[in-house]
Amino acid sequence: MMSGKHRLAVYGCLLAMAVYNLWPFFWMLASSFKTDMEVTSFPATIFPQTFTTDAYSRVWSQEGMVHYFLNSLLVSGATALLSASVGVLCGYGFSRFKFRGRNLFMVLLLASQVIPGVLLVGPYFKMMSLVGLYDSLTGLILAQTTLTLPFSVWMIKGYIDEVPIELDQAAQIDGATSFQCLRYCVLPSILPGVVATTIFAFLLAWGDLLWALCLITDPAKQTMTLGITNLVGQFRVLWSDIMAATVIGCSIPAVAYVVLQRYLVQSSISSAVKG
Amino acid sequence: MKKISLLPVLLAGVFGLSANAVAEIKLTYSDWQLAQEVWGKSLNDVIDQFEKENPDIKVAREPVQLAQRDVRFSTAIRAGGGPDVFALDANPVRQYIAEGWVRDLTPFIESSGGNDFLSDFYPISLQPVTVDGKVYGLPMNTVAMTLVYNKKLFQQAGIEAPASTWEQFREDMKKLTRSKSGSGPVDQWGLTLVLAPAGFDLRVTSIVRGFGADFLTEDGTRSAMDTPEAKAAFNYIVDLIQTDKSVPPGVTQVDANGARRLLANQTVAVKIGTTWSYPEVSAMNPALDGWNTLGMAPIPRSAGKDNQVRTTLFQKTIFVNQNSKHPEAAWKLARYLTDPAAMKRWFDDNNMLSARRSVNEGYEKISQSESARTVAAEIEHGAFLPQTPKWPQILDAFRQNLQAAVAGSKSREQALNDLNQQINTILQ
Amino acid sequence: MVGSTQRAGYFYILPALLLMILILGFPSVASVLESFGVGTKGPIGLHAYAKLIRDAEFYKTLLNTAIFVVVVVSMHLVLGLGTALLLNQELRYRWLFRVLAILPWTMPDIIGGLIFRFMFDTLTGGINAVLGALGLASAVDWLGDPGLALGTVIAAEIWRGYPYVMLILLAGLQAIPQDQYEAAKLDGVNAWKTFWHITVPNLKPMIYLALVLDAIWECRLFGMIYGMTGGGPGVSTQNLSLMVYKQYFQFFDTAYAASVAVVLAAVLLVLAVPYVRLALRDEK
Repeated sequence: MMSGKHRLAVYGCLLAMAVYNLWPFFWMLASSFKTDMEVTSFPATIFPQTFTTDAYSRVWSQEGMVHYFLNSLLVSGATALLSASVGVLCGYGFSRFKFRGRNLFMVLLLASQVIPGVLLVGPYFKMMSLVGLYDSLTGLILAQTTLTLPFSVWMIKGYIDEVPIELDQAAQIDGATSFQCLRYCVLPSILPGVVATTIFAFLLAWGDLLWALCLITDPAKQTMTLGITNLVGQFRVLWSDIMAATVIGCSIPAVAYVVLQRYLVQSSISSAVKG
Repeated sequence: MKKISLLPVLLAGVFGLSANAVAEIKLTYSDWQLAQEVWGKSLNDVIDQFEKENPDIKVAREPVQLAQRDVRFSTAIRAGGGPDVFALDANPVRQYIAEGWVRDLTPFIESSGGNDFLSDFYPISLQPVTVDGKVYGLPMNTVAMTLVYNKKLFQQAGIEAPASTWEQFREDMKKLTRSKSGSGPVDQWGLTLVLAPAGFDLRVTSIVRGFGADFLTEDGTRSAMDTPEAKAAFNYIVDLIQTDKSVPPGVTQVDANGARRLLANQTVAVKIGTTWSYPEVSAMNPALDGWNTLGMAPIPRSAGKDNQVRTTLFQKTIFVNQNSKHPEAAWKLARYLTDPAAMKRWFDDNNMLSARRSVNEGYEKISQSESARTVAAEIEHGAFLPQTPKWPQILDAFRQNLQAAVAGSKSREQALNDLNQQINTILQ
Repeated sequence: MVGSTQRAGYFYILPALLLMILILGFPSVASVLESFGVGTKGPIGLHAYAKLIRDAEFYKTLLNTAIFVVVVVSMHLVLGLGTALLLNQELRYRWLFRVLAILPWTMPDIIGGLIFRFMFDTLTGGINAVLGALGLASAVDWLGDPGLALGTVIAAEIWRGYPYVMLILLAGLQAIPQDQYEAAKLDGVNAWKTFWHITVPNLKPMIYLALVLDAIWECRLFGMIYGMTGGGPGVSTQNLSLMVYKQYFQFFDTAYAASVAVVLAAVLLVLAVPYVRLALRDEK
């Protein structure tokens, strides 16, 4: 256990971290409870002088935000799951097997991320219209997966590398196939890594704007990020509404993380095996 | 055998008939003003009416934000899709025409009365959409930029109305920059300018026009920012910000919305705006009682100069997509949105002038409104920004150099020199 | 595992490869071709690149991108590693601290850009309000002053992005076998030495990974900067992604935009290749 001084230092640092992370959210929260006038007044006020929940009721009822959140949840969730599952397979392949072109494929995977999405959207849109996936959430999910997959593969491969290959070999001697190795030996050991990767993929898809903007024109299928930027209109920028919508938008991934973070636990592999 | 082979023919006949019976044309209409509260309702009502009068046409509405519009449109149209009918402001029109994204409407116009049909539109409103004699769009709303000011604040400072010369205007702005309580730090400024990209194109360029300067020469081949008038305008703007400090700090970040807010909160007394400023600013701050407190005045000129053009025009135009599979129906919708009946509706709902002379001059509601009359009169004194596909680059160069001069990272002479050089390079 | 069983690797990577090629293959090739003028209205050839070499704005943008990435990624490493170490301890309310730790990253980057622009607003922003209330400064033009803007954007992105590095490193810390620490404790080794001789060597591959992935990510960053300054004032906060966006969607100059994108791609490859070589060489 930690010594008293050590404990004080750790909690002190954690407190500092909490304050550092929270202060923009505090400002967002405070602004979301201000009236439209007060939020843009000069001199600015720190605490709301007139406390109101109008922004939240406007966001919740009028703008169709509920739909946008649900759409985002669906799309981001599907993207995260797809990335994680394909990523685990791919990461395992890269980590455990030596085959011709392995290094090349790994580099290519990373290289696919170097061209900005701005240029890729147009041709991708054309492809999607040809296949009939124009203005569909499926097309969006596929597009966002290409954003998250390369990073996911590299991350998971990194975690699988950490698992000693002796584990696989021991299982093989017992007659397991490589897939069973993956499922029963490797996967449990890299669970924290998979969780981290899934969270990462989810958040990446959650925050995407460009693909959602170009691929979705039906207002009913819009995602949350698009919905929030829609609050920046030509004539009206309702800052308190934007703040309210963002508070809601950020709390959803945070809640998901609360649930998932309990998988970020200490590995039980002893270094005797690691060698 | 014979019986079975008859079946496909029967089926084909039945399907063919039923296909004709339910043949419904589906159009999509996309407009950034569909995303706004008041305009959106107004547009939807009119389009609903169109659907009633044309039962075989259904129109899907696609709102899009102004800043994201070109991103979405260009991606879709490049890929062979995009909305059948859409609206654009004046900025990217020449680019869309140059890229071949909008349909030539001349054949439709010919069959609707040709020149008779066009004669009701202001000649200047047709300029941006006419290339080589072909008309590519139908103008919907045309307005000129003017000064929008707070009558109460002016009264408090002892000024009757906004000046008609730049020299006097500068003095007035200094008078209006003061502390509201009389003894504290300055918390009220004379005017607000827009130096952020969103809305810069209409507002600051109006000042340039007011001085009688322009960005390009008549033939559009060289920069015209080296004339004495252009230099005067440039220095004037920088003076207002740097020397007089009649503009609130942080002007580089102020966009059109920010400017409206400053006027609504009574932090400034003047901004450059047009008919939409009234409903928008009033909605931002009901306590302001905008419809009674705000006033409009033409953009000033330099003393002794009488340049005909002194302001910039804004125009919203309706276009038909080159890729549209139903050009006939699309034309019907475009025409419906710009017919006199709809034009009157746009004024009633949104306080926006039309591009049709008969409506602007004949509709009593327009003649009765002070702001509408002022702006309508100014249309004659207005010009569009240079109609060249390279305009966005030129505007960007102007804005960057102006920002540099305001921030002090370049001297004014340096900024102007760079600007002229850059414009000429772009035009090559 | 030798011989035919190695080929099983192909099956494992097939889904991923198929997905990427089907979806990104055609667009990527199309983009590169566009930089040479193929498929655009302009002439085919190296015209866009010739223009790029002579463009002063391009060099400034390149410099901005370099400064941005170097400062942001190094600060991400410092903050991320520190926080990961803190969160790896036995703590009360650990779940709460972990959620707090990831909060900045839950802000989508475009929205984050808008919010920070709002906070750093000269007249109505929270930062100036607090500074004014404390009497330290008044009406600082954080985003409009060319000298301050880049620093402000960097500070905002440091805040928003460091949980990513923390996440990777925390999961990496979890994989370090506990008995190494226990052995060190038994031997009476102090915390500092434990850190340098046990934690860091075990964590090295993950640190490299985090650095490279974060660098690639920050090179491509678009939304945060777009929301805060749009690249301005002037081009003082414009990075390569913003320049591509501007050229493509505002100036409609497809070939030029594609050429800047190809340069951006080349820069990213230069960053990634040494890491890849290093990582692949370290294979057992």
